[in-house]
Amino acid sequence: MNEVTKQHVKRLVLCLLGSVLLAIMIGPQEGTLTDFGISFHDAVLKPRIGFFLAIGVLIYLAITFWPRVRPYIRRPGVVPLASGVVLVFVSQAVMNWYDPLLVLRTSAKFSTLRDVVDKTSGLDSTTTWFFVQYGSWTLVAIAVLATAACLVTGIRPLGYLTTAAGLVGAVVAWMAHQDVVDFGEKGQLGFDHSLGAYVDVVAFLVLAGAGIVAARSRREIADTGGFATSVIEWRPGLPFAVVGSLFGVFAFTRITWVSPLSLNDNFGDTGSDFKGYPISSLASNYLDWLGWLLFVGTAVLALAATLLAHRLLAWAAAVVSLAGVVCTFFSIKSMTEVAAKAAPQLGVTWQNLGIGGYVACIVFTLFAAGSVQAAVAAKSQPVPTTEPAATSKALPFTKFVNQARTARGRAMVIAVLGLALFYPPMLTTRWQAALVASIGVYVLLALGLNVVIGWAGLLDLGYIAFFEVGAYTTAYFVGALPKKPPDWLTLKPLETIPLSILACLLAGVVLGAPTLRLRGDYLAIVTLGFGEIIQLLALNDVGGLTGGTTRAPHIAHPRIDLPGIDITWGQDSLPYWYLLLVMLVVVIVLFWRLEASRLGRAWAAIREDEVAAQASGVNTFRVKLLAFAIGASTSGLAGTFYASQIGYFDPTLFTLQLSILIVAYVVFGGMGSLMGAMAGAAVLTWLPEFLKDQVPQPDRPLWIGALVLLMMIFRPEGLIPERRRKAELSGLSGISSAEVGAVPASEGL
Amino acid sequence: MSAVSIVAASDLTALASTHGVDWFHQLPQNIVIGLQQGALYSLVALGYTLVYGVLQLINFAHSEVFMSGAFGSYLIINLILTHMHVSGAMVWVTIAVGMLTGAIVGATVAWALEKIAYRTLRRRGAPKLAFLISAIGASLFLSNLAGKLFNHLSNNSFPTYFNTDKVLFRIGTARIQLLVLIIIVTAFAMMIFLDRLVNHTKLGRGIRAVAEDAPTAALMGIDIDKTISRTFVIGGALAGVAGFMFGTAFGVSYTMGFSPGVKAFAAAVLGGIGNIRGAMIGGLILGQAEVLVSALPFIGAAYNDVVAFVVLVLILLVRPTGILGERLGRAA
Repeated sequence: MNEVTKQHVKRLVLCLLGSVLLAIMIGPQEGTLTDFGISFHDAVLKPRIGFFLAIGVLIYLAITFWPRVRPYIRRPGVVPLASGVVLVFVSQAVMNWYDPLLVLRTSAKFSTLRDVVDKTSGLDSTTTWFFVQYGSWTLVAIAVLATAACLVTGIRPLGYLTTAAGLVGAVVAWMAHQDVVDFGEKGQLGFDHSLGAYVDVVAFLVLAGAGIVAARSRREIADTGGFATSVIEWRPGLPFAVVGSLFGVFAFTRITWVSPLSLNDNFGDTGSDFKGYPISSLASNYLDWLGWLLFVGTAVLALAATLLAHRLLAWAAAVVSLAGVVCTFFSIKSMTEVAAKAAPQLGVTWQNLGIGGYVACIVFTLFAAGSVQAAVAAKSQPVPTTEPAATSKALPFTKFVNQARTARGRAMVIAVLGLALFYPPMLTTRWQAALVASIGVYVLLALGLNVVIGWAGLLDLGYIAFFEVGAYTTAYFVGALPKKPPDWLTLKPLETIPLSILACLLAGVVLGAPTLRLRGDYLAIVTLGFGEIIQLLALNDVGGLTGGTTRAPHIAHPRIDLPGIDITWGQDSLPYWYLLLVMLVVVIVLFWRLEASRLGRAWAAIREDEVAAQASGVNTFRVKLLAFAIGASTSGLAGTFYASQIGYFDPTLFTLQLSILIVAYVVFGGMGSLMGAMAGAAVLTWLPEFLKDQVPQPDRPLWIGALVLLMMIFRPEGLIPERRRKAELSGLSGISSAEVGAVPASEGL
Repeated sequence: MSAVSIVAASDLTALASTHGVDWFHQLPQNIVIGLQQGALYSLVALGYTLVYGVLQLINFAHSEVFMSGAFGSYLIINLILTHMHVSGAMVWVTIAVGMLTGAIVGATVAWALEKIAYRTLRRRGAPKLAFLISAIGASLFLSNLAGKLFNHLSNNSFPTYFNTDKVLFRIGTARIQLLVLIIIVTAFAMMIFLDRLVNHTKLGRGIRAVAEDAPTAALMGIDIDKTISRTFVIGGALAGVAGFMFGTAFGVSYTMGFSPGVKAFAAAVLGGIGNIRGAMIGGLILGQAEVLVSALPFIGAAYNDVVAFVVLVLILLVRPTGILGERLGRAA
């Protein structure tokens, strides 16, 4: 065997082994320990081992022929084509299509819908064709083949054929789904919130776009990325405005605004639903004419402003969009209140009004984002419209927004904020709970740990201990622990925030002061030990303080009761999300400012080279201690929030595994980058919730472990790497021989 | 801490602290228990320290190597026991087969781990923490794969084929049981073997050279990839044997690796990470400290897990690079 054959055999064997592993992962749960391979046999053979081996062979082929395929991938249209196909697949295989079927079955995915359609008479023939006779896949196949042919031969009409197939697909998918919905309404099946059909429509539109790209751009000069960039940057803000308009049309014509009582009514019909009910005049006007006027007016303004790149017009559009958000929000609020009051008389509980109103809010935010981008971009053009001095005298907050440097950055901030505000109400109760109790809290924790690990480069494996300290401080001061605070110091949950931050700050300093002189891995093990010690002390109820597991604290829900403001949080998760959002925004803004500050630069310096930093006059010990303390106090804030939200906890929650997982979140997302830490925590906490539907509960860590491992193998810099680190890595990739790179470049841990 | 270790540890300390009043009376027995515990920690700690020596990385998945060794030997011994009646001299053969299987499975898993979770990252020149995270991912994956293939029970007792509690002889008040003796003797034999291997063979010289200065070692004609791979294999074999012995004493489960793993890591740091003799001494000290301190009447078994870390923190504050100092190349 020569060297090449050897390599291929090795690769093939590895791929096959990988596919067997995959088969085990997907296969049924274990047998017993004593059956000597029966469980292996069952686990591997039951889930169609042939199928998985075929996957292994395919992966082998893909790796082998990758260099030959690669140039084609860069051709225009290939990436949108692939993402379109993936989207179609996702929408038809993973996502739910029709909620009311939940009454009939456990799931209402495309495949179940197909069964139902197959058995139902009286549906349109297009519907049957689309669902049952593989109509959707035929269209996808046409799109793929036509685009491939267009790319190879360079005949443009073939690209347009793809576009046609995509458009037909979008229309037919929409009509077919609408047909099913109408049919369901006849049978009073209830309301539809599911997104599968919408995503399918979008997927087909992406395919249509792929056709245009393939046909229009000359392959020698343009690749998809370049073409897309040129389209996106043609007019700043225009993409936001266009997406906003599209969604707005959906929101105001099709999406359900009032769903209970199987009404399933869209915006137009909602007005009549509330006739005779005492909704506010704003809401009734909004339903009558104001909503439409606002939408059309803002859409026209925003599109015009972005197209013409006119600064004043853009600011005007932004202001109008803001008014749109406010009006829409107060209208939904009034409608919800009235609906809730009317509910007992009607004999139903009004839980959810439907997503239409919130989509409308998001639409207006998107307009605002687009307009702001257009306005700022117009300002930063070389024509000196304002004196430069004006910007430097801006208020602190404006200054912060200025730090978002580019116009697009600001637009993104607005769009993300809009999503964060208006998307959660659309979620189901379970997801709202997950969003608050796991995703949000861990995002906050990851932000804090990012200061310690990502910025200062100190490996802290006992981070959860500070979270614990924060939670117990809150529990102590609200009087939930066996040991009570003095009467004058018994506080409400939210009032303990400064105290728990202070407690964690102190804990951070107490732990840090003696140990921060240790280097790298020693620090890791000492912090790990600290975490263990704190947990065991709490568990063993030292001094009767924590109550251990048997007398774990119950904490009342928080409440703000000031003159003029009276907010009470209860069992519902959604209000907590807004509390958490406020905390998150404050922390993000603070850390954003911190990163570029003197302290932030000092952290970067000691992370890169401690000796050099010391020589340049950085007080390394103090700076490290500050990183530790700031990270710890963020954790304390999260602890207070968690304690008051969950209301009941015991020390068994705060395990070492959790500390390690938070480190994994930060590194997974991209050490040292704020966005990265948040993204990492969000993805890795979202995943178990998502997997809840997909794989049995005990298998979830298996999949997460596999994902983390793969991520580190293929993208060690994380999801959203920090710029500096990215540069470092791409610099290192130029190593010519394996020997030099054999030992990783040392880096201050 | 995981459930297994608490079970295991409380077994020990229940034994140790039943007569808390006469701590001195129990001392010899506790020293023996501590020696057994410490010997196991040392074997696992050697894996951490060897890898740290050559790569300057904490191999967080090493605890799962330990776990795999235990499961491998468990399967084999079960297989033997279902096919034949084991007695007399066959007991020793079975034990030897169990150890060998543990070593082979441990070595294989460690080898695969290095190939998949470390070498690919080394080729990319990934940041140091990326290795840590990929090891954590591998650790999660391996332990839950074992859970999926076998079961998710918190403990499965090892099949009995010899009287592990048979008291061989007494030293003062200490009863020396068969299993304890096997563990201690095997562990020490392996440590001496490893010490000879690292100090007196070509492979050992290679390992020390890579630990000292990898690029220079490469210039001197040492194949770094091979050396690192072999280092993992040696550490894996030691952990696999430790897994077999730990399993025989306390039972196996898919989470069994975590707690001994963390403590062995602490032991490695205690002795001076990257230092082979340091890992041995660190493990022994930690084992003694854990058993003796938690046997003190005013401390109690509940603090068993804390003791290890308090001792560690105290020693690190006095000697920041561990008892014997750091590097494999220098101090071995």
